[in-house]
Amino acid sequence: MSKEELESQLSAMFDDELPGEECELLARRLARDEQLRERWGRYAAIGACIRGEPGVRLQTTLAGKVSAALKQESAQNGVPATDRHRHGWVRPWVTSLAGLASAAAVAAVAILWMRSEAPALVAHNAPVQNPPAPSLQSLPATAPQLAAVSPAVRVHQSHEPDSYVTPAAVAQAPSLVPPTELANYIVAHSAYSGPLMRRNALSALVAGDSAAPQVNAQPIPAVVTGK
Amino acid sequence: MTRVRAACEPLLWLAMSVASAAALGADTPQSWLDRMNAALTSRNYEGVFSHWQSGKVETLRIVHRVLDGAVTERLESLDGSGRQIFRNGAELTCYLPDQRTVLVEKAPPSLLPAGLPKFDASMADFYQLDNQGTMRQMGQKAELITVTPRDGYRYGYRLWIQRSSGMPLKTELIDTNGNIIEEVVFSSLSLPHHIADEEFKPQLVTTGFAWLREDPAPAVTAEGPGVWNNAPLPPGFHLAAQTAQMMPGVTVPVTHLVFSDGVATVSVFIQTEVFHDAPNQVGAAMAQVGSSSAFTSVRSGHKYVALGEVPPATVRFIIEGLMHQSLGQALGVPPQPTSAQLQPTQGGK
Repeated sequence: MSKEELESQLSAMFDDELPGEECELLARRLARDEQLRERWGRYAAIGACIRGEPGVRLQTTLAGKVSAALKQESAQNGVPATDRHRHGWVRPWVTSLAGLASAAAVAAVAILWMRSEAPALVAHNAPVQNPPAPSLQSLPATAPQLAAVSPAVRVHQSHEPDSYVTPAAVAQAPSLVPPTELANYIVAHSAYSGPLMRRNALSALVAGDSAAPQVNAQPIPAVVTGK
Repeated sequence: MTRVRAACEPLLWLAMSVASAAALGADTPQSWLDRMNAALTSRNYEGVFSHWQSGKVETLRIVHRVLDGAVTERLESLDGSGRQIFRNGAELTCYLPDQRTVLVEKAPPSLLPAGLPKFDASMADFYQLDNQGTMRQMGQKAELITVTPRDGYRYGYRLWIQRSSGMPLKTELIDTNGNIIEEVVFSSLSLPHHIADEEFKPQLVTTGFAWLREDPAPAVTAEGPGVWNNAPLPPGFHLAAQTAQMMPGVTVPVTHLVFSDGVATVSVFIQTEVFHDAPNQVGAAMAQVGSSSAFTSVRSGHKYVALGEVPPATVRFIIEGLMHQSLGQALGVPPQPTSAQLQPTQGGK
């Protein structure tokens, strides 16, 4: 089965539109395919985010299918599912998915990450080291910024204020290009990107946190009027 | 009747052949990419999508209108920072309530026509295009087009393009190791004929915000594009646009160079005399902004910043090549390969 077909199946499974037999097969594959589980975890996080849920909630029928498939697999192997759960080699990926979803809902992972090789400027002619390509693993994970939030007020057309909070701006480590200046470069660059790249670059700017977590975050009030 | 049909048969066959060829051509990866670009630039659309990057998912809403050739766009975060970006023609206004800042940027005229990107035959040297067939996405039929780089100087793409409209319903950006580094997935998308002006009115009260607005753009610098044409560049990249513009907080015009391989673009901003007090200082820094890489280097009182949707090695290559050329010109030495002639990992999935 090609990667694309797998994705299509996964998408259908998530929408609870995959036939039961295929769902069982896919569930078994999920149980042994780490990459597929990661992808499913991402779908779960995306779905939860789109629905505005604090975590992933599997559709009841889908959860039932997955559970049934796992139980069936357990029965086929002659090991009670409950024993497997107790021994912790079937459930971990389910648990990790839930953890991933929760993390996606509350964590603020820095999108604008500055790693300065020489924040205070190094000596003249100092050799410049080639930085390693940042990867998902190398990007610094950040703690939830629940304490670093700022109050904001949204005023509806009915003039009823609607309060909410937004992440606070954070202080920056010394760098060659301050985040605001970098944001300006992104905006200037976007004018010359293709339509898709431009939209994605601006999306990253809109979606990005102020910066990597730093010290001395100060809540900043804001007022929004709107529909 | 039979004679008529017999006479017409060759024409009918020819017409069917042409139609088949046209249909076949319409399903080539390149034609789907062209359709996607045309849809993104010419259609009204509004939708909600999730933006996944570095383990973080955020929901955004976009409203895009093309009216009499003029593009107006609104992009806002539905959660998190509440940031909003409004585009009105060449002017972009970014509201950053979490920083109490508003950025206003207006693209100046360029010495070279940009018109980027173009999916033409030249890109075949650096990317492999494939049509993976019709898939299902957001309950719609979508053509999955893959754009796979042939080396490590650029990223790859997987694009689910709606068959009926040409709109991308899902996009993935793939790094040189085949890992997904950015994913955009629409959960709803509509193509309205009319979008009201109200959609493009900012709702943020900006009292007390710092407005960073560029001064009126100066005349483009006298230096022609030839000044930078001889700099060593990654394979396939060429100077596609050059301009000079004022940037907030900078008192002198900033040279803006745009390099492209036909798909990816890299902007280079060159500030002169930014460190008057310490002209001999040297520094370098790498930054990651979403899926874009940024590399900054300071030398001889000048600051070079490269930014683009490419691997870090590519922006570094370009900056070091330009700096070397600039230094060589100052000393009367022709440009030579520099340490930046990196051999990035071959992309391969």
